[in-house]
Amino acid sequence: MTRIRKSMTVLLMAAVLTGCSQRQSNQNQEVIEGNSPGAAGQAAKDSVVVVMPPGSEPEAGFDPAYGWGAGEHAHEPLIQSTLTVTAADLSIDYDLATEMTCSEDGLLWTVDIRDDVSFTDGEALTAEDVAFTYNTLRDVSSVNDFTMLKEAVAVDSDTVEFHMTRPYSIWPYTMAVVGIVPEHAYGADYGQSPVGSGRYILKQWDKGQQVVLEANPDYYGPAPGMKKVTILFMDEDAAYAAVLSGQADLAYTAASYGEGIIDGYSLLDCETVDNRGFNLPALPRQTLKDGTVIGNDLTCDVRVRRAINLAVDRELLIENVLDGYGTPAYSVCDKMPWYYEGSQVTQNLEQAKALMEEAGWLEGKDGIREKDKIRAELEIAYPSGDSVRQAMASETANQLKALGIDTSVRGVSWEEAYTMAYRQPLMWGWGAHTPMELYNIYHTEPESGRARYSPYASRTVDQYMDEALASPDLETSYQLWKKAQWDGSAGITQDGDIPWIWLANVDHLYWVRSGLLVAEQKIHPHGHGWSVVNNVDLWSWNN
Amino acid sequence: MKINRRTKTIGWLLLSAVFLVTVTLWGCFWREEALITDFSRKNLPPCREYPFGTDFMGRDMFVRTIAGLSLSIRLGILTAAASAVFAGILGICGAVLGKAADSFVTFLIDLVMGIPHILLLILISYACGKGFFGVVVGITLTHWTSLARLLRGEVLQLKNSQYIQIASRLGMGKLQIAAKHMVCHLLPQFFTGLILLFPHAILHEASITFLGFGLSPEDAAMGVILSESMKYLATGKWWLALFPGGLLTITVLLFHVLGDSVCKLLDPGSAHE
Repeated sequence: MTRIRKSMTVLLMAAVLTGCSQRQSNQNQEVIEGNSPGAAGQAAKDSVVVVMPPGSEPEAGFDPAYGWGAGEHAHEPLIQSTLTVTAADLSIDYDLATEMTCSEDGLLWTVDIRDDVSFTDGEALTAEDVAFTYNTLRDVSSVNDFTMLKEAVAVDSDTVEFHMTRPYSIWPYTMAVVGIVPEHAYGADYGQSPVGSGRYILKQWDKGQQVVLEANPDYYGPAPGMKKVTILFMDEDAAYAAVLSGQADLAYTAASYGEGIIDGYSLLDCETVDNRGFNLPALPRQTLKDGTVIGNDLTCDVRVRRAINLAVDRELLIENVLDGYGTPAYSVCDKMPWYYEGSQVTQNLEQAKALMEEAGWLEGKDGIREKDKIRAELEIAYPSGDSVRQAMASETANQLKALGIDTSVRGVSWEEAYTMAYRQPLMWGWGAHTPMELYNIYHTEPESGRARYSPYASRTVDQYMDEALASPDLETSYQLWKKAQWDGSAGITQDGDIPWIWLANVDHLYWVRSGLLVAEQKIHPHGHGWSVVNNVDLWSWNN
Repeated sequence: MKINRRTKTIGWLLLSAVFLVTVTLWGCFWREEALITDFSRKNLPPCREYPFGTDFMGRDMFVRTIAGLSLSIRLGILTAAASAVFAGILGICGAVLGKAADSFVTFLIDLVMGIPHILLLILISYACGKGFFGVVVGITLTHWTSLARLLRGEVLQLKNSQYIQIASRLGMGKLQIAAKHMVCHLLPQFFTGLILLFPHAILHEASITFLGFGLSPEDAAMGVILSESMKYLATGKWWLALFPGGLLTITVLLFHVLGDSVCKLLDPGSAHE
């Protein structure tokens, strides 16, 4: 009850605050006072209640240095402005920036910024603040790699230079998620009471329960349509209950809840690059000097990996596990500007079986293949507690049995999952709005000479990705990222080394109250949280 | 024919024993089958072919429930036996081996009993790497206390009885007395305690697995089945929780009946009623 009372107070406060400038909304707010709190969202035509998973609540607060916006699940920081933004087709647009150039050698980025922007405390946003933000993140960021940045320097009040330690052509994608913080108001507790220049102001944060955002009245861009955004953090079943009782305007949900019909709500199905797939260690089993066991004797044969990629029926898997709410995935970056379209394969069990025969794995008595008296056995691990990945691993296991590989599944905790993936498949989830994902997964690490997550190494692939990072403009880099995937003779696709098998992009599902017009969504990245409200300022209610 | 209490008790004892043994063996036999997923039959409500329905991965819930109960019972036997033996040794040692040993054992009992059961269980299970091993060690180390206290009290009482004192005066050693005169009195207590530990062990196994600190999620275990079913209750899949939960309750009750019956039959005070 106290919570409801609290939110009523906030609503009233909102009515007072927005009252002067917005006559229309003031009337709307007055309607609420006589209404039941449950129906608040429905009556208030410029506020919206959104439900997200508990994991979306930023633990360390709304500080970009500790993962807000620029963390594992990147999204627009809303409270802060960014230099660039990603457009609907995931090319780069400008937010604070007005012009951006990169030197021929890729080591110097010069960005001009708007001079008419101020923080919500009234101070102007200058190049000093931008430089301060980036230098701070380089030094303290706990979640992002900023080792490519040597120093950010404010040349004058509206120009900032980024001096790089190495060429990094996709820097604009980093700029799209780093919120600019004010140098004069930044401190250890910034994350708790952030000051920014973005579309929204953090009004209230009840930890573990809700975040209330309010439109920034001095925003330099078009005024946000939604004046107030309330974000509740709930588990899947609680979110479903909140929808059933009409307390939420938009709530995330999973396919297993999607079959029911709820009065006054419809299901919004967002396309994503939130993919699921598993790694296949490409080296034979061996023990390293430090005792770590890496590699796998079955999957080290490229023909076996190709056979597995051909044998999985992605359509069937999506139908079975996701009730059809997904699209087949053929790479970690489907539909992105840097995706190589030739990655796609057509399921063909016969061809897959032929590949297994060719690799010397012949069918034994019980239908399981054998080579030199060794049975073809594979265990797919999945993070326990993730029922979608569990179901996906089980379905893949069922499908691989038809190929003659005795496949089992095992739930593991994340602590052990990473080391297990060195020697066996693990069901992963990836998908981001930056080509760095390709680099992180397929590029070798200098210390070990292997890729970070699954044993694999290819000099050709490394070289293309290094060139892509060094190329002076994004267009050229896209071509090189594509070549890293397949250049005509080598790569990471079906005809190449195929060290990872990609299964499906999981659609993000939301219950949406009828009348709420959710603006067109960019392809969502991994993480079923903040992405959906990236453009909440453009949402509206239809009477 | 007139059925007296003893016959009735034997009847109950046989009935519950037969049920429990059947479930245990049946479940062992279905161990592989309980893991089979078949997405073509997912989320089916109870019907003739699948009396307990199927879950989100098309697993037959009847098979899964029996396999889960069987796992629980086997785990219960192992942990109950281990903790009963543990309790027996410590209880007798405490009572027989003098003051220092006694206060040490009492201290241990107080220590373990002072921490909430489930909390200690989670800590131990987690420290032992979860899974089957973690659960067994956790339950064994937390469930011995009440039985140990009971046996210790019994031994202390026996020690003061006349015939033991006489035996001691006649020159019998401490261990000799323990083996010859005490064990026969302690056995009924011991067996009853052991059987009554089962339901505790089973429920606690289910609880910590339910909380995510026990067996892994693809195992067919009661805790896994019940915690999975929670997620689907909101969407109206009642059969996932009702049948497995009901059978778990019945199993625990039958163990109770078994323990009570054994106690009635063995205890000299009630054996002839």
